[in-house]
Amino acid sequence: MNMPLYAQMMKSHLQTMASYAFGSAFYILLMFWIYPSMATQSENLNALLESMPPGLSRAFGLENGFGSVDAFISGEYYGLLFVLILSIFSVMTSTQLMARLVDQGAMAYLLSAPTTRVKVALTQAIVLLTGLLIITAVTTLAGYGGYAWFIGDLNDFNSSNFLLLNVGALLLFFAVCGISFFISAVSNDEKRALGISGIVVFGLFSLNLVGKISEKLSWMQHISLFSLFNPAGIVKGTVNWGPTCGILLGAGLAGFAAGMMLFKKRSLLL
Amino acid sequence: MLTVSHVTKVFPGGKGIYDVSFTVEQGEVFGFLGPNGAGKSTTIRHIMGFMKPEKGFVQIKGYDTWKDQGRFQKLIGYLPGEIAFMEGMTGKSFLDFMATLRGGVNEQRRAELVERLQFDDRTPIRKMSKGMKQKVGIVAALMHEPEVVILDEPTSGLDPLMQKVFIELVLEEKAKGTTFLMSSHSFPEIERTCDRAAIIKDGKIIAVKNIHELQAVQRKLFEVTFEHEADRDAFLASGLKIDSYKDKQVRVAVQGDYNRFAQETAKYRIRSIDVFSQNLEDIFMDYYDRGGRE
Repeated sequence: MNMPLYAQMMKSHLQTMASYAFGSAFYILLMFWIYPSMATQSENLNALLESMPPGLSRAFGLENGFGSVDAFISGEYYGLLFVLILSIFSVMTSTQLMARLVDQGAMAYLLSAPTTRVKVALTQAIVLLTGLLIITAVTTLAGYGGYAWFIGDLNDFNSSNFLLLNVGALLLFFAVCGISFFISAVSNDEKRALGISGIVVFGLFSLNLVGKISEKLSWMQHISLFSLFNPAGIVKGTVNWGPTCGILLGAGLAGFAAGMMLFKKRSLLL
Repeated sequence: MLTVSHVTKVFPGGKGIYDVSFTVEQGEVFGFLGPNGAGKSTTIRHIMGFMKPEKGFVQIKGYDTWKDQGRFQKLIGYLPGEIAFMEGMTGKSFLDFMATLRGGVNEQRRAELVERLQFDDRTPIRKMSKGMKQKVGIVAALMHEPEVVILDEPTSGLDPLMQKVFIELVLEEKAKGTTFLMSSHSFPEIERTCDRAAIIKDGKIIAVKNIHELQAVQRKLFEVTFEHEADRDAFLASGLKIDSYKDKQVRVAVQGDYNRFAQETAKYRIRSIDVFSQNLEDIFMDYYDRGGRE
């Protein structure tokens, strides 16, 4: 890891990271804000949910209904919006951190300084993960804030479920960042990296969604990493954390390691 | 100091560099000449360790530039051919960043370079003209007082005054014992600074020559305008190699033998003399032609 590079990269990316984090925090606050008005209608809403095809509510993580605040948040926020925000963040930021520097040629300056390619790539990976951590942490804090502000005493909050939701999302996006970082590290062209990374990440995301909606296509979700983050399951307590953590951490580490190794070995058009 | 040994890299489509070899001694300014697309930048990418040679190797002071990443860079300063900086930086913040990344930069030297190249380092880089960016790049390549400086087309974008300042800088550094390798597609640029030059064409080194030898083969066209047309006719009969003539103007081709040209012209009243240097491509061709005949 190269500290001056890390400091410079954080300086130039912090603003974007903060935008994602505050966007996410704003949304989760919004969710906590509307929850009380939803809760008074929860019976009607649950009836409505039951009238929908089961696949649809499963796809968007709504099967726990609107009965409790963590069920509501898990479905409404962690089921879709937060995943989308973090997907966009991973694809965009990983592309900017590696492929853009190679494409534009600024990487030539970094590599002409006394450092190694592995150190440069590792630093960029840590910048990416720092961003992920900032967004998740701000969202988590906003969640606590939202509960205290709009719902009531924090002591009544089932915060372990809420924390686990965030840990689950963090793990999933560690893996997703690993994949998009890998694509970015082996690309010479920024647009191409962005395209491929976008197709892969949103492809996996869609596989999971389609697999959950349709019984016939349910096999699809099993080949998607996104199925390993199951907000409804986390709230119900039915998630088997061991293998989930293992697979997601493994996939992420493999992505980052392979990206660094190939970046070290390939010829760069700088 | 710098050895390029049998470096070969073939790109899909057959372009690339083939068996490129040359050495640059310590304290020498070595020119790397060739038309666009001849393989200059590809060779420099290998020297900088950005590309892995299919065959051969590049060594700087004993370090292999592909295998010894992280070690050889301490010795070198580098100016890329395509100037691209990271976004959202000013000249100053970029140089600050490069200084921390490199470590051990002499602040005084850096300030001196900024002053001599005359640019405002508070300007955001994206608002800089090409010449301004080039100046920032030159400061970044020289500020840490490296032992070996590799410059890819260093004077492109610089105005004639700044080209002169740049040449002075190179000569001063050379006097201190710094080794230079600079690529160019313009002979005059190389002529004023370099001791030796390699000429590359279609990915192959066709000659590594002392610069004076290249100067001798370079043909210059002098366009002499006479006061009187009668003088012109006398001049035409002098036996110099006449390229063309029109009214009071005569174009003379001179290759190496400047004395004779000066003596002949001095006999008449001259209104003006213009000089046209032969472009690099033609120097190569001349070089080839001569090589073929000998």
